[in-house]
Amino acid sequence: MHRYDNNRRDFLKGSLAAMTAMNSQNIFGSEFDLDSRIRGKAEHVISIWLGGGMGQIDTFDPKRKGDAKGKKAGSYYNSIETAVAGVQVCEHLSRTAAVMDRITVVRSVHHDVIDEHAAATNRMHTGRPIGGTVTYPSFGSIIAHERGAASDEAPPYVLIGYPNVTRGPGFLGAKAGYLYLTDTSQGPAGLSRPDGISPERQKRRESLLRTVQTERAEKRNLDSHKEEEYAETLWQSLKLSGPSFMSGFMLENEPDSLRVAYGGEFGQRCLLARRLIERGVRFLEVGHNLNFLNGSGWDVHNQGIEKQHELIREMDQALSALIIDLEQKKLLDKTLIVITTEFGRPPEFDSGGGRGHQGSAFSCVLAGGGLKHTGAYGETDELSKKIVSKPVSVPDLFATIFATVQVDYRKNLYDGDRPIPVTDNGQPIEELFA
Amino acid sequence: MAAFGQDVVSQDVVSAPSQSTAGATELAVRWDFSSEDNSQFNSHGSVERDQPGPRPPQYPDFETSNTAIRLPGDGSHLRISDAGSSSLFDFGLGDAITLEAWVKVTDLESHEHHVIIGKGRTGNKGFPPDNQNWALRIRRVGGKGAVNFLFATDPRVNQGDHWHRWTSLEAFEPGSGWHHVAVAYRFGQPDSIRGWLDGKRIEGRWDMGGPTSLAPVVDDDDVWIGASQGGLAANSFTGSIDAIAIHRGIVSDEAMKGRFRREGPATIALPEVMPEVGSIQAGQVLLTLHEKLKSHQRWLVEDEKMPDPSLHYDRLDSFFLTRLPIAWDSWGIRDHWEVPIVARFSADVKLPKGNHKLLLRARGLSRLWCNGKLLARTQALTGSPSGEEPITPLPTAVRPGIRWTGYRQQEVIAECTLERAGSQRVVLETIVGGKGHRPDTGELLVAIELEGHQQFQLLSGDPTDGTNVLLTDAAIEPYKKKVEAKMERFDLERRRSLASSQNEYWSGRHAKAQRIATEKLAALARRVGVSNVQDLSIDRFIAEKVDEARELSQSQEGIDASEFQDRIGIVVQKHCSRCHGQRSLGGFQLNDRESILAGGNSGLPGVSPGNLEESEVWRRVNSSDVTERMPPHGEGLNGMELERLKLWIEQGAIWPNTAYSEKNLQFNADLDDASFLRKLSLDTIGVPPSETTVREFLANTSIDKRARAIDLLLDDPRWADHWLPYWQDVLAENPTLINASLNSTGPFRWFLHDALYDDKPFDRWVTELIMMRGNPHTGGSAGFGLAAENDSPFATKSQILAGAFLGIDLQCARCHDSPYHSTTQKDLFSLASMLERKSGTVPKASRVPAAFFEKQKRAALIKATLKPDELVEPNWPFPELLSKDWNAEHEFYPMLKEDSRAGLALMITSPYNERFAKVIVNRIWRRLIGVGIVEPPHDWEGNRPSHPEMLEWLAWEFVHSRYDVKHIERLIFNSKLYQRFARPSSEEQSASTRLFTAPVERRLSAEQILDSMFAVSGSVLDVEELTFDPDGRRAADNRLSLGVPTRAWMFPSLANERDRPSLNLPRAAAVVTVLESFGWNGARQSPRTDRELDPNVLQPGVLANGIVSSWVTRASEGSELSRLALDAKTPDALVESLYLRFLSRKPYAAETQTLIAVLADGFETRVLPADERGSSTLLEPLRKVTWSNHLMPEATTIMMEMERRARLGPPMDKRFSKSWREAYEDVVWCLLNSTEFVWLP
Repeated sequence: MHRYDNNRRDFLKGSLAAMTAMNSQNIFGSEFDLDSRIRGKAEHVISIWLGGGMGQIDTFDPKRKGDAKGKKAGSYYNSIETAVAGVQVCEHLSRTAAVMDRITVVRSVHHDVIDEHAAATNRMHTGRPIGGTVTYPSFGSIIAHERGAASDEAPPYVLIGYPNVTRGPGFLGAKAGYLYLTDTSQGPAGLSRPDGISPERQKRRESLLRTVQTERAEKRNLDSHKEEEYAETLWQSLKLSGPSFMSGFMLENEPDSLRVAYGGEFGQRCLLARRLIERGVRFLEVGHNLNFLNGSGWDVHNQGIEKQHELIREMDQALSALIIDLEQKKLLDKTLIVITTEFGRPPEFDSGGGRGHQGSAFSCVLAGGGLKHTGAYGETDELSKKIVSKPVSVPDLFATIFATVQVDYRKNLYDGDRPIPVTDNGQPIEELFA
Repeated sequence: MAAFGQDVVSQDVVSAPSQSTAGATELAVRWDFSSEDNSQFNSHGSVERDQPGPRPPQYPDFETSNTAIRLPGDGSHLRISDAGSSSLFDFGLGDAITLEAWVKVTDLESHEHHVIIGKGRTGNKGFPPDNQNWALRIRRVGGKGAVNFLFATDPRVNQGDHWHRWTSLEAFEPGSGWHHVAVAYRFGQPDSIRGWLDGKRIEGRWDMGGPTSLAPVVDDDDVWIGASQGGLAANSFTGSIDAIAIHRGIVSDEAMKGRFRREGPATIALPEVMPEVGSIQAGQVLLTLHEKLKSHQRWLVEDEKMPDPSLHYDRLDSFFLTRLPIAWDSWGIRDHWEVPIVARFSADVKLPKGNHKLLLRARGLSRLWCNGKLLARTQALTGSPSGEEPITPLPTAVRPGIRWTGYRQQEVIAECTLERAGSQRVVLETIVGGKGHRPDTGELLVAIELEGHQQFQLLSGDPTDGTNVLLTDAAIEPYKKKVEAKMERFDLERRRSLASSQNEYWSGRHAKAQRIATEKLAALARRVGVSNVQDLSIDRFIAEKVDEARELSQSQEGIDASEFQDRIGIVVQKHCSRCHGQRSLGGFQLNDRESILAGGNSGLPGVSPGNLEESEVWRRVNSSDVTERMPPHGEGLNGMELERLKLWIEQGAIWPNTAYSEKNLQFNADLDDASFLRKLSLDTIGVPPSETTVREFLANTSIDKRARAIDLLLDDPRWADHWLPYWQDVLAENPTLINASLNSTGPFRWFLHDALYDDKPFDRWVTELIMMRGNPHTGGSAGFGLAAENDSPFATKSQILAGAFLGIDLQCARCHDSPYHSTTQKDLFSLASMLERKSGTVPKASRVPAAFFEKQKRAALIKATLKPDELVEPNWPFPELLSKDWNAEHEFYPMLKEDSRAGLALMITSPYNERFAKVIVNRIWRRLIGVGIVEPPHDWEGNRPSHPEMLEWLAWEFVHSRYDVKHIERLIFNSKLYQRFARPSSEEQSASTRLFTAPVERRLSAEQILDSMFAVSGSVLDVEELTFDPDGRRAADNRLSLGVPTRAWMFPSLANERDRPSLNLPRAAAVVTVLESFGWNGARQSPRTDRELDPNVLQPGVLANGIVSSWVTRASEGSELSRLALDAKTPDALVESLYLRFLSRKPYAAETQTLIAVLADGFETRVLPADERGSSTLLEPLRKVTWSNHLMPEATTIMMEMERRARLGPPMDKRFSKSWREAYEDVVWCLLNSTEFVWLP
């Protein structure tokens, strides 16, 4: 949120010894060759998070069909051809299949966390194991920190989903954090006005407040006070919650046909993401966790799998609509769409006919962002259980995302004095960069 | 094999099923433990013979005098020698074996496997440890006893997978009497395995190495009964064994069927006789707690007896309880009850004649007697699934208007018919908690409906005396508060009484500390030239330094210090001072002109004024040689920085002396009374003063009214609430409601609160913290000892302790020696070993890989001086912190030598460790003044105090006061410094320019803001219980309840890492959003003293638009704001009240004018006539979403409705006209959103 920070004053008055906290020196050194770094062209990221663990074998990496009742391992659904020859997806992804040439499914992502959703969620947001003495920032926060917002009128990072540590800024501090909302009809927490506050009431409130603020400033000489910075922020905040920025959240301003094309609440979230991108938000995370479809969301153990196709279809509609909409608005090359999830799911069925967890091979999706898309990248075996070619580690996937959006994936960030590389030695997927 | 006791039972010998055998079955041996020759058994440990075995009438196939052996479960066993090769006990490839026995297991819980009989794996000399030919065991699966068969194959053939274990899928309940268990197997034929329980064939599964066609290990090792592995307790049998038989061959199902015959139920439960309780005072309901029952799923069975009561609670006057009293350890620190517990309520109740109804609500297994007659029961608590439990329906009300039954409390109504009036003994026994269940009672009660009444009331000593509590919300809510307050009082008395057991030790220690402090204070007074210690004061120390500064400032030449700072200072700070400021790497420092000219170890001058060529600094910053370049890494100085440096050297390298601004030399204005009281109140109890308090204070004309207010507020119990969040941050308290994640701790907030609430001397509670006492999950200081997902929790705790109490920063030392400090990795791990009470090594993840150092082109700044596997012994690494008199210390702690943790606690908190007292007073000072005497408070190395004598004085005052924080606060509050208006912090950052002519401005902390929002508006903090397991069906280490919060510090992180709408607590989340916006973070993965204070739009945003704001600014039904508006005589009076409440002052003229204009409009007609008010709509109750059912689809919809209701807020007070109420609420909103509300004067 540093776009809204006030100018800092007087921070550097005082003697040297007192300034110990100020340090940006790299004590570990960086010996990288600047020229070898891969750099994409994208300006924004829309990150779609499929909470629970999307089963690659039932979606983007389909294999021969299995039988849940007969406990025969394999896909739950039929496969269909896509716009990219030789690349198949599940039958419930038919709309996405038509735009597969704007997409690369990375089918060879892997990590070693399977047993715990929170830990895997953390891995897929920070790109590294939990541990030690550092609270790592999420990739959204890193991008917000490195690139800021694309406009003075917008925050760098917006989350449509539940706030948590994993999605947070870690040691980068609140400025690299997110503004969040859990419901597209509500607008962001803290900025959207509560129900029942009409523009007239708001006007009265602000006019009353102006009197009180003026009196305060007069009674106390507030020049160069932190308190005065706060007072300035107060007016900025009131401005942000005013119609100009908040109109971004008014989906009703979109044509009905487009709203219908995006589909249900998740689709509306994606549409909102596009609107916010247009207003200068750099990074958006959109959670697809509307668990009322099946209770457990993408975590399809036991009977949870029976309604999995509804989740897939909802995603299919929203994703394809988003790709087409961005393309029509000439935003697709500037906007990288990422779909990630905790882990994948095995080809076998559990005792209730659902699926367990599989971290050793799963799919994440990249779309748009000016990448050279190939429909799919990396390959798994005949049951999508083992990676057989081009494995992509989580740090590699993160390096790819960072490189696409022009963040130096090899630089160090600092937790106080301590250097922390942006990724854990990740290397971008070179073939995707033209 | 010795020949003995082979009473062959011919009917056992039948043909085995054709598929698995071709041969006959032959009984090899049978032991009945009755008349056999004792000499065949070699008894080890305490195996008891001639104990009752299965007997008639329950087991009619046995003699009435049948005997068995009993084994205590400590590894005791019988040995039978093998007769050598091809003995009857040897079973090789192709041989079939059937093993059977009668068993009665009395303790299944203590370990997983219980050996009945086995050959091999005895641990005998000359045999490998894994030579199991065969074994019959009981294995605990899901809390029940399963039949288990085990053997080993040759490890050389099948390495790692040479154990083969078969376990039955069916199993028996523990404590369910005698069972017959049997298995049969033909070696080499994995499908031949079969098992029987109580004569019935049962299915099972292989695991470990799985099924095998390989041969078992056969040798001449012994056969053991009751244990294996040298008599290992952890695999041994606890209970009785009878009638073991070994057959060569496979016994038929039909034969097995006849083996087991039982008449009646499995266990013989003890008769349900109303317990003898003895005499009970009239009117009293006596509660006793009986810990450590065997099972929470049943009452006592034969051989068991009710444990003696561990606690008597005699302060109940009815059968009503919402929680158990707290369990304390012997120091008065929170501990746990040994579950399951029986809570027994007994009373003599005066009842009239008639046909009455008794209503029982209880969570677990319960039974209720009246006058010896068992009237009602409830069922045992069941386990909690992880999300897929059907959502519990809403309870039904047995009478209109009755209070709802608590969540998952069972409700039973029983008839109680009395022929005549009189005193009846009523006893309720209920089992609370259990294995895997927290001991939570829920709202537990017995109510009675007397004949002729249509209403239940709580059952008390005399239900007819007119003082009774009806079972309605209106009656129960206030009564519940009373009951809980009594219980709190009881807890507190017991806590303090237990704590007093340590008082003698501490008074001894403190008397000594006081003697030392007295001497030190006297010496200090002499040193600063004061005749009387009493004359030392904060303002005196400050005035002295200000005087000096004025003199210095007048003698200073006209060098523009701030310009120097902007051009050169900033460059030096950015690139040089970490290594050449606090430290002097290469012998070089850049602290002043003198040091910079002198240069370092090279002998060359750092800077030669006016001469770039001869300035080593200039050469180094321009060098391209990686071994010389400065700074050593990164991109170095940029062009503009180089240009400035060049100019500065060329112009003579002028380095100005310390400069003071005119403003800084002037004392700031004194606080007016209103501002003083507001600040003091926020600094002591965390909330502004009440309207009445402000009015009284402003009207008070006595001279000492400020001092009196200080004393009064320091004595307020809310003082503890205000200090608590500080220590939560500094000590990284991080409890979690769902699964533990990085550095999760126990909720030791409760320990801290007890310590602060009881005014425990600081050195004492820190000692108790370090000793990690009590239970980690119920709030004991042991909770500080936890650090989840951390491979070296004790290193983490040592780092926290060193930063909190010694001002030593050991963060870097986790992985390598600190690059900017003198501390080493060994220092940290020596502390960790002290804390852990044993030597340890650096964990793998905290080692810098050797490859890192190899990659470096020049010497790395970091070093790892510990060898990778070097064992670090418990050792105090900071001897310089202890004074030379330290040896005399030993009398303080006799166990010091044996217990390195106690030693560590003592070395940190001892009066011989002056650093401790200094660090604490500096922390107190900084919290109240805004900037420390030493900065930063957790890292003192290289940072000198701005007022060394004052720091020393405060430290010894602290020691002298027996480490009383309030004493130091009183000194500060009474100082002129504290009672001045605050200023920005710019010049306070350096020790040399820090004069304390004014306190530094401070914003309210997140907790102060939240608590103030509720306090000033009079709203009640009303959120969900902080738990996902409201029915206590999970263990405390798995799911906590942090209770219903009443202050901001009680909230934990609600981070929903699973991203599931159903795992939300919408009202609590709204509160947490406010806290987080203002820099609070409930997931305290690392310790911290300072929070982020930079303003951002979300802060004013959450006050302007947030859900909590809409709650507290609303004139809602029954709210204080509503009452205030009703009672107000005039708009003026209302505005004044609001100002006094929200801002602790009277409004300025311009404010009065503006606000009154808004409120005066429609003031007279603000209250609507009754018929225009409209009616309230009651919201439908919602079913409860918990961890157990959160994956059900409706859980999400229910939770979304709860979120909607949270946003909706409380219903508006319909008595007011809408337009006036809105205007009023807008005025309230305006005060809440004013900058003044969130900043201290």
